[in-house]
Amino acid sequence: MMKVLNGNDLAGALAAGFHCLQRYRDPINALNVYPVPDGDTGTNMLLTMRAGVEKLAQIDGVTAGEVAFQMADGTFWEARGNSGVILSQFFKGIATGLEGRENCSCTDLAQAFRSATDAAYKSVGNPVEGTMLTVIRYVAEALELSLQQDDDDDILSLWGTAYQASRDALDATPSMLAKLREAGVVDAGGMGIVVILGGAYLHLTGEDVEEADLQLATAAGQIDPSQLGSVSVESDFLDSSVESEWGYCTQFLIQGENLDIERVRAELAEKAESLVIVGDDRFIRVHVHMEDPGVALTYAVGLGELDQIKIDNMSLQNQNWASGHQERSAPKSGIALVAVAPGDGLAQLFTDTSGALVVSGGQTMNPSVAQLIAAAERSGAEDVILLPNNKNVAITATQAAERENENQRLHVVATTTVQQGIAAALAFNSQASADQNLGAMNGALIDVVSIEVTRSIRDTTLEGIAVAEGDYMGLIDGDLAVVDSSAEDALLASLAGCGLTDDHIVTIYWGADTDQERVEEVAGRVEEQAPGIQVDLVYGGQPHYPYFVSVE
Amino acid sequence: MAVRIVTDSTSDLTPALAQELGVTIVPANVIIDDVTYRDGVDLTSDEFYRRLLAGPGLPTTSQPSVGTFQAAYKEILDQGDEIVSIHVSGKLSGTVNSANQAKASLGDDVAIEVVDSGGASIALALITAAAAEMAGQSSSCRELAEQVRGDLPRTSAVFALDTLEYLQKGGRIGKAQAFVGSLLSVKPILTLVEGEVHPLERPRNHQRAMRRLAELTRERAPAARVGIAYSTDEAWAAELRSSLSDLVPEDQIITVRFGPALGTYVGPRAVGVALTSAR
Repeated sequence: MMKVLNGNDLAGALAAGFHCLQRYRDPINALNVYPVPDGDTGTNMLLTMRAGVEKLAQIDGVTAGEVAFQMADGTFWEARGNSGVILSQFFKGIATGLEGRENCSCTDLAQAFRSATDAAYKSVGNPVEGTMLTVIRYVAEALELSLQQDDDDDILSLWGTAYQASRDALDATPSMLAKLREAGVVDAGGMGIVVILGGAYLHLTGEDVEEADLQLATAAGQIDPSQLGSVSVESDFLDSSVESEWGYCTQFLIQGENLDIERVRAELAEKAESLVIVGDDRFIRVHVHMEDPGVALTYAVGLGELDQIKIDNMSLQNQNWASGHQERSAPKSGIALVAVAPGDGLAQLFTDTSGALVVSGGQTMNPSVAQLIAAAERSGAEDVILLPNNKNVAITATQAAERENENQRLHVVATTTVQQGIAAALAFNSQASADQNLGAMNGALIDVVSIEVTRSIRDTTLEGIAVAEGDYMGLIDGDLAVVDSSAEDALLASLAGCGLTDDHIVTIYWGADTDQERVEEVAGRVEEQAPGIQVDLVYGGQPHYPYFVSVE
Repeated sequence: MAVRIVTDSTSDLTPALAQELGVTIVPANVIIDDVTYRDGVDLTSDEFYRRLLAGPGLPTTSQPSVGTFQAAYKEILDQGDEIVSIHVSGKLSGTVNSANQAKASLGDDVAIEVVDSGGASIALALITAAAAEMAGQSSSCRELAEQVRGDLPRTSAVFALDTLEYLQKGGRIGKAQAFVGSLLSVKPILTLVEGEVHPLERPRNHQRAMRRLAELTRERAPAARVGIAYSTDEAWAAELRSSLSDLVPEDQIITVRFGPALGTYVGPRAVGVALTSAR
């Protein structure tokens, strides 16, 4: 059991908290809706905290009190943004609580969070609950309660209590603050505090912080720190936020003598919103939101020297933030693709390159008209282009396109092979009109030669060529070209019949039952046939056909 | 009194060319590992791309500050000259806002016209170069700005990127989001429509992308000006220059390098062509 944290323990914990904050910076930015949805809370907290952590890196073997002091001092000078200034005051409060302490005991930790809470609340002109202030306060209260209830003096378990309390508080933020509820998020600054405490906790308990996933969530679901798309904000909130005017975020440092911070706070409160002011009688850091940043500057320049002036246009920041969310949530476009494909790899390829909805099917399992129409309807697009990707499906697609539908026009690009379908999908551009797309996609088919390799299931004669059961047949654009006992040789012989030059691109889509090593070997042999040629290998996963190949 | 041209560093005009044209360049900022550099002043393109490729952190950019604009404007106004200030698309950057704020801070009837070019890089360079050449015959900044704005639709550009990764991570991907997909390697060709990144085509390899860049450019001939930009491969720029030399003489084709600010979004192995159509 560990009863106290020494200076090095505390410094290591803070560094780990910083690392975790770095990992969560983008999700925190994405969640930032209050007071202004401008997407900079994560960055502001990170850059503020970095200044403190850099100071800690230069010291070793000092007291816990000294570590806390250096952290507070570093963050004060580099504090940026509303959340950064509050964070710097949080550390200042921690430093006050640990002042003169060799080590940090359980009692010290509780005291430190109490004074951190006081300092954080005091820095804000008009404290609002449901923000990082609440998270800090919950932690202080949980620590005090824990010390009252039992005389356990294990500092690690107490830190665990602090971390858990911060998580509970974070989950409660939407119930306290309507803006968070409307946006379907938890508080961004609050999450910053949780992440710092969580990273520190992992470090203290000997866990790895590098790839930490703290299992945090919003109403929309779990947040994956490495997947920004896992963080979403209600679209109504995004739309209304962009329509609002947000003014300018104005920050600066006043340097003077006998400054009266309370008076500055009161006087600026009359002119500005979202006021955060911290400092002493020589330095005051000001963070305000105003329609005209000049008013705050003019006022402050009468008090002393101004430094570190930073003015951000929050309406622009808001637009960038909102458009980032909108792009990630990929709104339905006016035009979409429906592709028929056999095999999971090919389905993935169509979805990946063109956002196509895929209907499973091909040579041996033809989809129905109803299936194609259902997929088209599911896209919600005004125009839908169907890619049958097989001769046998082409007629079904044409029938589907002839069905009358008030809300949707269906078009067919008559691809007869999957290889043509991929070329057409690459020519698809969701930003272009239906006519432009039909032109480009039909144009893209012209230069594609499709080779298919499949195995004969009986002895037969096709197009004058005798084929034995178990032989591999190579078809070029649907016509039997070669027969061979090996799939790879059939493929190479078919390719030889295409007159390859180094200007061609050969794409090999290998089937569900094909071994990847054999694919790589055959690719090497194609490159020997035509030195300098580009050979791309893609898993297709189609049944019955070891190889689909395109030459273009 | 003369009318002088100001642009920003995302025009990618070289200092030599800017001097020859009499254009003042206001630098944007590029932030790498949380250290801020002035685009093209504190950080060369070579150094920038070296660090970009070394990774892992991606750079970010910020528009020139209001103060930088104020200083540039004041120096020109103090000489009794007027200013047309032509900048990167307002959909891609807040530069135009900084310029407007700086203008507003200098008084009510100050002789500055701020123009949103709707373009970036080599397109902005061509627009700026044309403005600089017209400035001599202009009697006021208002008159010149009107001409410049009227001419904007004549200039457009196409870009082929090696990857959309930088554009996407930098939050400037715009409508080209539709081209993000990774299973097949492609060299996406993009353009700017109404100041925003817009997808055009996805050729499968570099050679085809180069061919399409030339073909797409040729579709807009006859040309008054042609310019080429590249990020890391000068040979590609030379190849395009010679293949387009029938549009304008090869020695009149301006070649620039995507500087650090633009390079943050286009990434290495990018190349682009801009064309201003003849009247």
